[in-house]
Order: sequence, then structure tokens, then C-alpha cells
Amino acid sequence: MIELRQLSLQLGNFSLKDINLAIDSGEFFVLLGPTGTGKTVLLESIAGLKPLTKGNIIINGKDLSEKRPEERNISICYQDLALFPHMQVKDNIKYGLRFKKDGKSSRFHKNYETLVELLEIEHILERYPVYLSGGEKQRVALARALIVEPDILLLDEPLSALDAGIKETIEAELKKLHQKLKTTTIMVTHDFREAYYLASSLGIIKDGAIMQTGSKEEIFNQPVSLFVAQFVGMKNLIQLSTLRCHEFSELLGDKTMSDRTEKFAYLGVRPENITIANEKVEKDYSFKGVIKDIRNNGIFMQIDIVVKEMTFLSYLTTNHFLELNLYEGKEVFLGFDSSNSCIITAEQNNSSL
Amino acid sequence: MSKQRFEILFVISFLTGTIILFFFVYPMINPLFWTKPSIVLEALKDKDVLQSIYISMGAATAATIVSFILGVPFAYLLARKEFRGKSFVESIVDIPVVIPHPVAGICLLTVLSPRSWIGQFLESMGLQVLGTFSAIVIAMTFVSMPFLINSAKEAFKWVSPRMENVSRTLGATHSQTFFLITISLAWRDILSGMIMTWARAISEFGAVIILAYHPMIAPTLIYERFTAYGMMYAVPVSIILIIICLMVFIILRLLATNHSKGEII
Repeated sequence: MIELRQLSLQLGNFSLKDINLAIDSGEFFVLLGPTGTGKTVLLESIAGLKPLTKGNIIINGKDLSEKRPEERNISICYQDLALFPHMQVKDNIKYGLRFKKDGKSSRFHKNYETLVELLEIEHILERYPVYLSGGEKQRVALARALIVEPDILLLDEPLSALDAGIKETIEAELKKLHQKLKTTTIMVTHDFREAYYLASSLGIIKDGAIMQTGSKEEIFNQPVSLFVAQFVGMKNLIQLSTLRCHEFSELLGDKTMSDRTEKFAYLGVRPENITIANEKVEKDYSFKGVIKDIRNNGIFMQIDIVVKEMTFLSYLTTNHFLELNLYEGKEVFLGFDSSNSCIITAEQNNSSL
Repeated sequence: MSKQRFEILFVISFLTGTIILFFFVYPMINPLFWTKPSIVLEALKDKDVLQSIYISMGAATAATIVSFILGVPFAYLLARKEFRGKSFVESIVDIPVVIPHPVAGICLLTVLSPRSWIGQFLESMGLQVLGTFSAIVIAMTFVSMPFLINSAKEAFKWVSPRMENVSRTLGATHSQTFFLITISLAWRDILSGMIMTWARAISEFGAVIILAYHPMIAPTLIYERFTAYGMMYAVPVSIILIIICLMVFIILRLLATNHSKGEII
């Protein structure tokens, strides 16, 4: 169990503000946030590389706040990987073993062999980092970080420097590696797709403060603020003006809606949670609209549907799109379940519709 | 067949480069035509010449070692830490490079003379500095140390602090990280800085002559022979000094740039 209690740090004009987090052992926790929001600084402060102004880092009941980085048993993997260019791959991987009392024991030798096999890097062990591809460098950096059996593995945007093709491969390997080794992992990223794929739980950070934590389903479907909703790709954010609430009351058959105008700010639904059909949809909420725009992004179809004066975006597979025989100006039904939608209030509270 | 195009900027660059090379190389070669090999060999047997060369090389080496011991840790601090007044401190480090060297000698003399508190302190300890080998080393260190500090600072900046961070999290202490990662990656540039420091030190004349006319370093001997006896006596010693400096310089340069396989990123 890892606990961050009121972690605070000041670096020039930037500060981390009262970060509180609890992460279970073996969990893959992803911290999602835009660039320059303090993700790397938070990881470095957990590793002991940045001095805290306040707060505690507690791992398995032990307070590590005053410990030096080398005493914490926390490994870090940076975005630029920071492989040692003057050492061959095998020496890079074994670097941490030099400082272990039993670094030459069979246990660590087995770790070495397991990681080399799992990450499929047998053929590059004699090479220097300059001769490695991006994906190979990534694997070496992971092996180097994991060989010392860290209590926590910190990953600082480990996939952002990779090409799209190799990124998916490494992403899958990272997941497989975590499932096999169960090392408690904290990864930071700005890519919500990456976060959704890898995370067992998530946190959202903005301007050095945690905005929301929870399961990935909670965060992706029930964001507590407009910022979180936008950041996790909730494209349908309909501002609920008095008029809109009245329209919703009619549309949804919920007469109380028109009384709730002051409390609520936005209705949020993810595009992939909106179903389109030629007939009434069997969902909690279903209403009729007109297709305004159709775009093909090469992977799936993006459909804009206007309901009264509100525009909803929905994603469809190309096959489904063709089956429905959709075209601009066509009247269709769209629908979604209440569990897949949320109301985001100005006070950053949320509730299901 | 493709037509070769001449870019005017490169033509100008080539011409200026040719002028610069001529400007540097010709004056170094020309002394060879002012004397005979037999006279140069004769000068090599001159006890005063040999002694002045030994003193020059010894003092330059000592100045380089002192600069290394004091300068490298300081350069690491300048490369890694931000603090108030850092730009001012960096400017101070560069001052010896920009002030005229006889002025540097005068400044050092005011500090080391028996009229200053440091001079009095040294005298009370029974230490004679002015007119000794130590004075030569002090003068050479003063004018040449900035080269080492700046080279080492740039070398340390080139080593990503993230590599050091990774090393720390893998269990290495700060000192272990410094020697296993930072110095291991920066040593060639530091060595280049040492070569520049040594070269600057051995060529120093202005500051040294004010602190220590004797024992005589090679530039002082050349100056003395030139003023007392003329070119015919100054040229052979100059040729010997040029050859020795070039040999040392080339050997150290080769050592500094001899990259082993695959280490460079």
C-alpha cells in the first residue's frame, strides 16, 4: 500500500498542492494530466529526487519522506529512458545489482534471465544504447528498472516518444509484464487512451493538484469537472441553460429537470456510449435527431446529430454505418443509458441523470 | 552530367579559412628558416634552456592539477545547481581570461607581497612565494583555470541529470553516481579542458614575469635572450618550445578524441 499524504512541493513558480493518494499494492495506477502540470515532478518527489516542503510518502506502513533516493527501493523510467550510453545493454540492466548486497545471488540472476526473456532482448545484450531502436531502448529501460525488485515502479510517459506501431506493442508488453510481476506501478501520461488501456485505477492532475481519482470507469464516465471530462475525451458536453433544461425535461420525460437549472452546468456523454438507430433505441434515454455531418477518420465514422439546438457526436464502425444507411439530413434515433452519462455542476459535483 | 554550383558564402568562407591557416601556421614554421638544425641541437644541450623547459612544463602541469582538483567539483556545482547570483559567479570565473596578463600579475603581487595580510601570513609561516616555483604555479593557475572550469561545466551539463536520477533510484549514492555515470561520460571533455588549461599555462608569460623572473620559465628565457642577444639566440629556444608543446598537445588531443566503440550518443 502506498500513501501520499498532503504532499507539497515548491519549485520556482510551480507547486504541488496537498497531493493525497492511496494506491494498493500490485496496482497499475495512471496519473493523467496535460503537459507542464507537475506529473514528472510528482514522480521525482516520490522517488526522493525532489525535496518536499510538506507531506509524507508511506509505503507498506514505513514513512520514506526523509530517505535518500537510493534508500527507497523505488525505480524510475523516464520518457527519454536515460540509458547509460557508455555501457552495453547487459551492463545497463545489471547496473542496480552493483549496489545490492546480494546482487550476485541466484535470485537476481534469475530476475535478469526472466526479464531478458519476457522482454525479448537476448539479441541486443552486447550492444550499446546508441545502436538500439526506440522500442528496444524502452525494453532495456524497463528491465533495468525492474531487475532490482522495486517496491514501486515509476513510469514517466514511457510510450510518448515511440512511433504508433511500436507504441501499441510496448503498451501490450507493459500490461503483460505488470500482470506477470505485479509490481506496484505509477505511470504518468497525457494520453487518455493509453491510460484507459493500462490503468487499474486513475488520477487526474492539473496545475499541481489532483482533480479526481477513482476506477477508470468512474473517471471516464462520471468526471467531476469540465476539465476532467474534456481531458478524458468526453466530447459531448451540452451546456444546460434554462432553455436546454426545459428541452431536456420534454425530451427525457423528466419534469423535474426544468427545476434543476441552477444546480447543473453540463450534460456529459461519451461519443462511444451513444447508440444510433433508424428506430427508437432501447436505452434509458432515447430521442430523435437529424444527421448534420459525417466524417471518416480512417478508423471509424464520426456522426454529428442535431437534437433541437444541441449537437451530439457519436462514433460508429464503418460496417455499422453502412448497415444503417446513414446520410446527412437523415432523421435517426439516438440513445444512451443513465449510467453512461453525467451531469457536471459548477461546484464540480456530479450526479447521474 | 550535373553542373557543379558554387555557393558564394562557402567561397568566402574558404578564402578566409585559408588566410587564417596561413596566419597561424606560417609564423610557427618560419623560425625554422632563421636558424640551422645544428644550432637548435646545440641549444638543446644548453643547461639553462633545458631547465627553463622543465620548469615551464612542471609548473604548467602543477597548475593543471590544481585547477582540476579545485575546478571540477566547482564546475559540477555550476552545472547542476541554480542559485541566486550564479551569473555573477560565472562572470567572476571568466575575469582572468579577459584582463591583461601583466595586470593579473600585478594583482597577484599585491596579494602575495609582504605588505598584504596574506603575504605577511605566508612569511610568518616561513613560506617564500614570490620568485619561486610556487609563484609560477599560482600565476599560471590564475590565468588558466577558467578554461578547465568552463569545459568541465559544459561537460557536466551534457550529462543528463535524469541519468544521475536513474542511477540514484537504482541504489547508487550521489558519489557513486558521480564517478560511475557523470565522470565516466564527461571525462573526455574534462580532459580537453585540461589540455587547454595546460596549453594556456605553459604559454603564460605576462603574469609569471611579475611574480617570478627567476626561476626562469621558457618564455622568460626566450624574452631575455631576445632582448639581450637578439633573434639568433631567441629562435632556437622558441623552436624547441614549439615542438615540445605541439607534441604534448597532439598526444593529449588524440587521447581525448579517441572514442571507443559505440559510446557516443
